[in-house]
Amino acid sequence: MQEQEDRDPKELSSADHPIGETGICSGKTAKEETRAADEQKMSGGGTAGKSEAAASIVEEQPGASGIPAPADPEASEHDAAEPEALEAGTAERTKESPAKETAGIENSDAQVLAASRRYTRRSFAVAAAAVAAGYGLYHWVESNPADEMQPWPLRRAFQSNAAISRWVFRERALAPTYPLSRARELRVNGVYGLKMALDPESYRLQVVGVQDASRRPEYTSDVTAWQYRYLDKKTMEDRGHDTKTPPRSAHTAAKMAPGSMMKQAEQRENRAGRMPRGLEEAGESRSTLPVGTGGLLLTMDDIRRLPRRELITQFKCIEGWSEIVHWAGVRMADFLEEYPPEKYDGAEPRFVYMETPDGDYYNGYDMNICRHPQTLLVTEMMGAPLTQYHGAPLRLHMPTKYGYKQIKRIGLISYNRSRPDDYWTKLGYDWYAGL
Amino acid sequence: MMKTQPSKASIRLERKHPLAIRWMHWVNFPLIFLMIWSGLLIYWNDSDNAYHHPHAVYRVGIGGVTLVRLFPAWFWKAIHAPFHVTQGLGIHFFFMWFFALNGIAYVLFLAFSGEWRFLVPEKGSLRDAIQVTLTDLHLRKEVPPQTKYNGAQRFAYTGVILMGLGMLVSGLAIYKPTQAHWLTALLGGYEMARWEHFWLAMGFVAFFLVHVTQVVLAGWNNFRSMVSGREIRATNEPSLEAERRSW
Repeated sequence: MQEQEDRDPKELSSADHPIGETGICSGKTAKEETRAADEQKMSGGGTAGKSEAAASIVEEQPGASGIPAPADPEASEHDAAEPEALEAGTAERTKESPAKETAGIENSDAQVLAASRRYTRRSFAVAAAAVAAGYGLYHWVESNPADEMQPWPLRRAFQSNAAISRWVFRERALAPTYPLSRARELRVNGVYGLKMALDPESYRLQVVGVQDASRRPEYTSDVTAWQYRYLDKKTMEDRGHDTKTPPRSAHTAAKMAPGSMMKQAEQRENRAGRMPRGLEEAGESRSTLPVGTGGLLLTMDDIRRLPRRELITQFKCIEGWSEIVHWAGVRMADFLEEYPPEKYDGAEPRFVYMETPDGDYYNGYDMNICRHPQTLLVTEMMGAPLTQYHGAPLRLHMPTKYGYKQIKRIGLISYNRSRPDDYWTKLGYDWYAGL
Repeated sequence: MMKTQPSKASIRLERKHPLAIRWMHWVNFPLIFLMIWSGLLIYWNDSDNAYHHPHAVYRVGIGGVTLVRLFPAWFWKAIHAPFHVTQGLGIHFFFMWFFALNGIAYVLFLAFSGEWRFLVPEKGSLRDAIQVTLTDLHLRKEVPPQTKYNGAQRFAYTGVILMGLGMLVSGLAIYKPTQAHWLTALLGGYEMARWEHFWLAMGFVAFFLVHVTQVVLAGWNNFRSMVSGREIRATNEPSLEAERRSW
């Protein structure tokens, strides 16, 4: 390698000289010549056998491919000039001994090899620089400060993808629906905000940001003061598991908070002032209501007054699985019609925020996807009322979003002007999550 | 420089791969790697709970008999997949654009430069491909004559471009199964699209293994030409430049 590098300048200059001057190179060592011959042999590479075969066939059928011998434009130019060279050289060459002629071929081949080496060096240098640049780019992407647990270029990509998706698809498409026979019980996955059994009597839906809310009978000056009661007994009809726990603990009651913990949580929730909210991994929501927020407190009867709708659509989890489920409830669009958002400077707020009564789980949405005809406030699944771990008494289903946006046990619906916080977004997932 | 190439040389430098093809080929390599790796990080999330809800999409089996569910736990550990879902999602939905743009640019270049003529199978390519395969398996001694690619390569390289297209289409069908539900339906539904996406990725892995093996066997001269663009060929071998001029 070293030797080869040392030789470079000479080769470069010799290659640029006319043919007649190749004699400069004739001082090659025997070693170099053998190497040149080796390289020549190698030039056939793995296709050595192939090329020989090819050559012989070309000889047999000169017109077979209809292709003349010359290699490339430059070579053909050279070929055009060849007759003269040949003529001039003929007399001399005939006098040359066969050994000299072989040496001539070797010298010429050496020039080809030298040219090849120059290309090789140059291109491999560029390749090395490109590899370094590529690695640098990747490293730059990955090592950038995180925006909600995603390096910001990747977070930005999520947002750009969402913008492109909104623009291209307009989010008007309807998800396919299926026959009832294909519907199955939905698997329980994720029990944040559901761990304690909620006393159905104590359920109210807090709604904030409704037009002329204070003139409605359901209005109260502080919705956050509503006291949810939790039942201190095991009323679980099914056992939730979340995929991040090993199987053994998934089959134990470890998912359930011990009775004492429930009691403590209930006390904190119910005493004057607010308990700490958002006790799961993502922490407290930045969009949770400040104490003293006025709004509506709706009962399930208020919601059931809206037209009942049924839907059989596929539920898709970002984990990868999907199930076809039979849903029933009311359209979110109808709900928005009944409880319209208050306008600010003539414009409707662009977002909707929802959270569980304890504030442990929360989601943000675009207003327009809430008006999608298949966005349902669900009260029944598979022909039966919702169960605790499916989010009784009210959950969301939207076939336009992954499951992690389909919040269970909705305690609050609030119309927002700024983009609301979102549980899984804080842990690195996409806020948009649009399908 | 080539002008000084002596007529009596027994070898010559052949312009084998255009610069654009070389760049796009090598850019594609880390991109496919990133896409498959990040795809596996995402996929782990589904395989993780196989104990509880055995997933149907990536199982290998016939009828009710399941031979294997991909992948075994040691494999996930080996690639550090567990709990890197969000990293996978971030990388996948960022680099997908580069993979798509590079692929589109590649196909456009092939189309407009005429280089596709080297690549797309032609009459006789199938027979050629069979003979090449037999030769590679040492069942036959000689390979048929070729210019740039033999029949087997034509099928493999055209096939892998179609696989790339399949990746984009099935990927979109999984990514937007509601907005682009017609596409998802066309591919046989959401689960089917996921199956296709996964097995195309496995196909890429298989292609990669065969491709690298063949490149190693073909030797330095061939490999170097994918970097420098030039291949040393015997002067009496068929000329690529001549073929290009004949288009």
